[in-house]
Amino acid sequence: MILWRAGVRNVLRHPWLTVLAVLGVALGVAVVTAVDHANQAAQRAFQIAAETVAGRATHQIVGGPSGLPEQLFRTIKVNLRFRAAAPVVTGNLQLAGQPGRTFQLIGVDPFSESPIRSFSSRFTDKEILPKLMGRPGTVLMLRRSATELGLARGQSLAVDVAGARRQLILAGYIEPPDEVSGVALASVLVSDIATAQEILNSTGRLSRIDLVLPEGREGENVLRQLGAVLPPEAGIVPAGARAGAMEKMTRAFRLNLTALSLLALVVGMFLIYNTMTFSVIRRRRLIGMLRALGVSRREIFLMICAEALLIGATGTVAGLFCGEILGSELTRLVTRTINDLYFVMEVRRVPMLPLALWKGALLGVGATLVAAVPAALEATSAPPRAVLSRSLIEARHRKLVPLATLGGVLLMLAGCGLFLYRQGGVAGGFVGLFAVIVGYTLLVPAALLAFSRALRPAMGKLAGSIGKMAARGVAVSLSRTGVATAALVVAVSAGIGVGIMVGGFRLTVQNWLANWLQADVYLTSADKSGGRYRPPLNPALVQRLSSLPGTAGFTLSRRVSLEGAGGATELFSVSVPEATFARYPFKEGNPKAAWKSFQEGYSVLVSEPYSYRHRVRIGDRVELRTRYGMKQFPVSAIIYDYGTDTGIVIMSRRGYLENFNDPSVDGMSFTAGPGQRVAALMQQIRERAGEERINVISNAELRRATVEIFDRTFAITSVLRILTMLVAFVGVLSALMAMQVERARELAVLRAVGLTPGQVWGVVCGETFLIGLIGGVLSLPLGILQALVLIYVVNLRSFGWTMQLSIDPAYLLQAMLLSVSAALLAGIYPSLRIARTSPALALKEED
Amino acid sequence: MRRLYFLMAALVTLLSALGYFYARKGKEPGVKKTYSLNEALGGSAAEGFKRAEGARRFSFPADHGPHDGFRNEWWYFTGNLTGASGRRFGYQLTFFRSALTPHPVKRESAWGTNEVFMAHFAVTDVEGKRFRFGERFSRAALGLAGAGGRPLVVRLEDWSVLETAAKPWSVKLTAADGDMAIDLDLASLKPVILNGEGGLSRKSAASGNASYYYSIPRLATSGTIRIGRDAFKVSGISWLDREWSTSALDKDLAGWDWFALHLADGSDIMYYQLRRQDGGSDPFSAGTLVGADGSYRHLKREEVRLEPLRRWTSPKSGASYPSGWRMKIPSQGIDIEAAPLLADQELAAGFRYWEGAVEVRGSTGGSGYLEMTGY
Repeated sequence: MILWRAGVRNVLRHPWLTVLAVLGVALGVAVVTAVDHANQAAQRAFQIAAETVAGRATHQIVGGPSGLPEQLFRTIKVNLRFRAAAPVVTGNLQLAGQPGRTFQLIGVDPFSESPIRSFSSRFTDKEILPKLMGRPGTVLMLRRSATELGLARGQSLAVDVAGARRQLILAGYIEPPDEVSGVALASVLVSDIATAQEILNSTGRLSRIDLVLPEGREGENVLRQLGAVLPPEAGIVPAGARAGAMEKMTRAFRLNLTALSLLALVVGMFLIYNTMTFSVIRRRRLIGMLRALGVSRREIFLMICAEALLIGATGTVAGLFCGEILGSELTRLVTRTINDLYFVMEVRRVPMLPLALWKGALLGVGATLVAAVPAALEATSAPPRAVLSRSLIEARHRKLVPLATLGGVLLMLAGCGLFLYRQGGVAGGFVGLFAVIVGYTLLVPAALLAFSRALRPAMGKLAGSIGKMAARGVAVSLSRTGVATAALVVAVSAGIGVGIMVGGFRLTVQNWLANWLQADVYLTSADKSGGRYRPPLNPALVQRLSSLPGTAGFTLSRRVSLEGAGGATELFSVSVPEATFARYPFKEGNPKAAWKSFQEGYSVLVSEPYSYRHRVRIGDRVELRTRYGMKQFPVSAIIYDYGTDTGIVIMSRRGYLENFNDPSVDGMSFTAGPGQRVAALMQQIRERAGEERINVISNAELRRATVEIFDRTFAITSVLRILTMLVAFVGVLSALMAMQVERARELAVLRAVGLTPGQVWGVVCGETFLIGLIGGVLSLPLGILQALVLIYVVNLRSFGWTMQLSIDPAYLLQAMLLSVSAALLAGIYPSLRIARTSPALALKEED
Repeated sequence: MRRLYFLMAALVTLLSALGYFYARKGKEPGVKKTYSLNEALGGSAAEGFKRAEGARRFSFPADHGPHDGFRNEWWYFTGNLTGASGRRFGYQLTFFRSALTPHPVKRESAWGTNEVFMAHFAVTDVEGKRFRFGERFSRAALGLAGAGGRPLVVRLEDWSVLETAAKPWSVKLTAADGDMAIDLDLASLKPVILNGEGGLSRKSAASGNASYYYSIPRLATSGTIRIGRDAFKVSGISWLDREWSTSALDKDLAGWDWFALHLADGSDIMYYQLRRQDGGSDPFSAGTLVGADGSYRHLKREEVRLEPLRRWTSPKSGASYPSGWRMKIPSQGIDIEAAPLLADQELAAGFRYWEGAVEVRGSTGGSGYLEMTGY
């Protein structure tokens, strides 16, 4: 019992240190939990939305860019007598005046629904079905969503869809069969299939047909029968394939976030290690006495672990709370990024997942214990008498330095080895990165010794003997300073690494945009609800704009998503003149050689990530589902593209028109003629557009907007970077504070021998400044190393993007400033304390 | 020591807060009552629809086709058939047309329609002691379902009635569901009879709460019934009931019992009893007596005495139906019992009812169909 009380008393005696340690754990856990939650929430939201909407469907018939002919459904149901089939017409629309609020409109035939979905085949009241079918423009939504939007039954809501504003009428509510579907349906509007066709301008077409196929041979039979009646551009894919493909698409992105969040935890672990070591060392006398009194090693070990557990548990619980709050904010950021980069999805009210909580809790408590074990071992392994001696510990630590250095070098080499091993994938890249980071931290003590020795003369010149004392102090208490500096180095270098990577990426994107966007004015539909995909422009408008006087040329483009068994393929088709084509950002392939076959629609270009993901090289073939069925296209060149890491296939418009039954255009670009001003050209376009809801944007504006999206995408990375730095800051603060508090007696001796409070302050701050400085300097190479790994290993393996390395000195300076200021700040409290207490009192005080 | 307690208490509080995350997850709002398609189809308001009011001049073959503007309409085929080996079957093929709005709305989409079809198909396999039924719904669009044309076609997906000859008026019935199928040719043996007052069948005292109702009581039937892998050549007699209206059952009515009986002497009886909530029969219960020569006369409730015999409780729905009825028409010297050929001929569909083949025994023999609802 005495032992426990001693432990608890120790925790309570230095409340600030305890609070900082708890804070460190809490921050680490919060970041990890929040990122985990955000990742899982996004993934789960997508999954349950896909599952709820797909219902019990086992397969889906999907078509070309404009879907399927609606008569196919009749053929299946009446001619083939296959009953478990339900037609779906679906698209996205945005609430007017709320550009961020996207709903998925699902048009169904209620009479075909019952084998597939329950939410659209049962109604909350009897009048709904007649209204839904009998009245155009009627929709259903969740009662909760309606309440949120302040809508009551019978009221109308304005939506922007396919470039037009429409008034929909809320005919009633969807009754979700369970809570999970309730979450999934929060951003879903259900309408009759006729209404959906009319609203989405797709009369005559279906988005897909959901099927429930029997298992085994019977199912194969049905598949064969269905296959015989499908038009060539249609195919049957397993219903899970879509969700699986979406999961795969964002996996690398999510893994990156997880790795960044783990970095925060690693820094947190350093912090705990430091706190625990400090608490053991400070009590070396007490522990020695306890041991001498007959307390067993096991008991001491348990006491220290229990202490750590207390700190860990408190920090973890606090961290989980913060994690949930932070998690919802991160979820928003993650969702936005997924929307920008991958596909349209809405995540609303996903409850904290137990798995994320458990993981966070386990990591927090586990990391604390792991970090405490060295300290506990240190306290128990030495003989009782030795524990009492501080200098012995320092000596032992010093002896360990060469060993640690060697270990560090080996670990770093192992990490670098992993970078060369391509099969390791993204996870291998991160493991390698962590090995390099940890290896580097093992080098920190040696570096610290070297630096303090090297800096001693300079410090002496600057501040006389006080400066020298400070420099020596750093080296003398290596057991403290080593860990604190290592933590600082990890955190600061992470900041540098991520900063350089994002900066380089940004520059790369800017350069790419300059090559990719060559026209002066771009035009698309104003409807952004489809994410990367825009609805077609009014053909009459395209006609009108094709004859603008004075322009040097214009292009027509169309971006569509082709569904396939392996997920969707983004196909971008464009009519470009050879001069523009030649200036595309080619990575591999010769524009001159590629031009002819590309122009004729015989070959295609693929983007760099596409080539990386699908392992496609020049001369290989890409298979696409065309109006003639599956057709292979040779790849004639690979171009840089940073629009999406899923990869795109680029085809000439001629090829697109020939292979896909879709003459529509969703984007136009114009090049101003000689002497024509861009503003005038834009004005001219707007005038010709009249009432059409279109988006006319100049080249400069489009570039700016694209870079803005880029910045938005990396907002989450910046947030994580800041959080990691915050953890580091807390870590350094607590480590240095602890170190100086511990030195109270020593500093009192200094006071007693005649140093003024100001001089003591100088010694303390000189020491912390030195640590900050050395930490900052040491973090520079590691930061740059991390940037290199992130750019050339992790990003390449995650997304297939090549990017330029550009080291902005601002990041380095920023890192140094952070490091030094954190260290200086940490010196203030102990020096103030020392300055205030009388040396006699401090000397008398037993520790 | 107090500090320790304080710390422990803080820890417990934090841990219980953690528990709260989980507790919160499990809560779900109570699932509210929802309506199936069947129930939802009865949801359109009666305003604006045409009503069966006053006499009407029936004209055939036009009246075999659909009657726009009325809310409900049906084509109701039932029949008793016998295979070459004497194996007995009953069948029912019914098409219901429901209009959701009084007038069609002009829509851009081909799926847009204000009409919905529902169909029931049932086969009673007496020897196999099995009753099978299927139910379908579809919108009247895109060729999935619809009624009309000359010659007449009524269809829902691959179930159909096709007019094959005008004189005698003949149709072909085709339907398949699960492991049963029919392919039958029907030819009228008797002319159309108009039930009620010249075809106006009142269901209550309120004007307009009535239907136009005619029948072809006898149609010679031959063709094939398929059960599983076996196909049976069958022949027998069918009954066609046609009714259209915008009426609904009075609130105080619990259901009805409907008889369509082919008697051995060539005469036929159609009689429906509207059953009140209190179990008594409503004064608007009525029927038609058809002579062997096709002449017919109205049957008033006072002329007919009905008495349920025995009970049968459905294992599926738990509902208890009369299993056989005694019918007396003293003025005609008729005293017969209509006994189900199979106790279980319940259609446990969205709208649950019992409809099945019966045998007629007593003062005269025969066969027929019995429909019981509201049990």
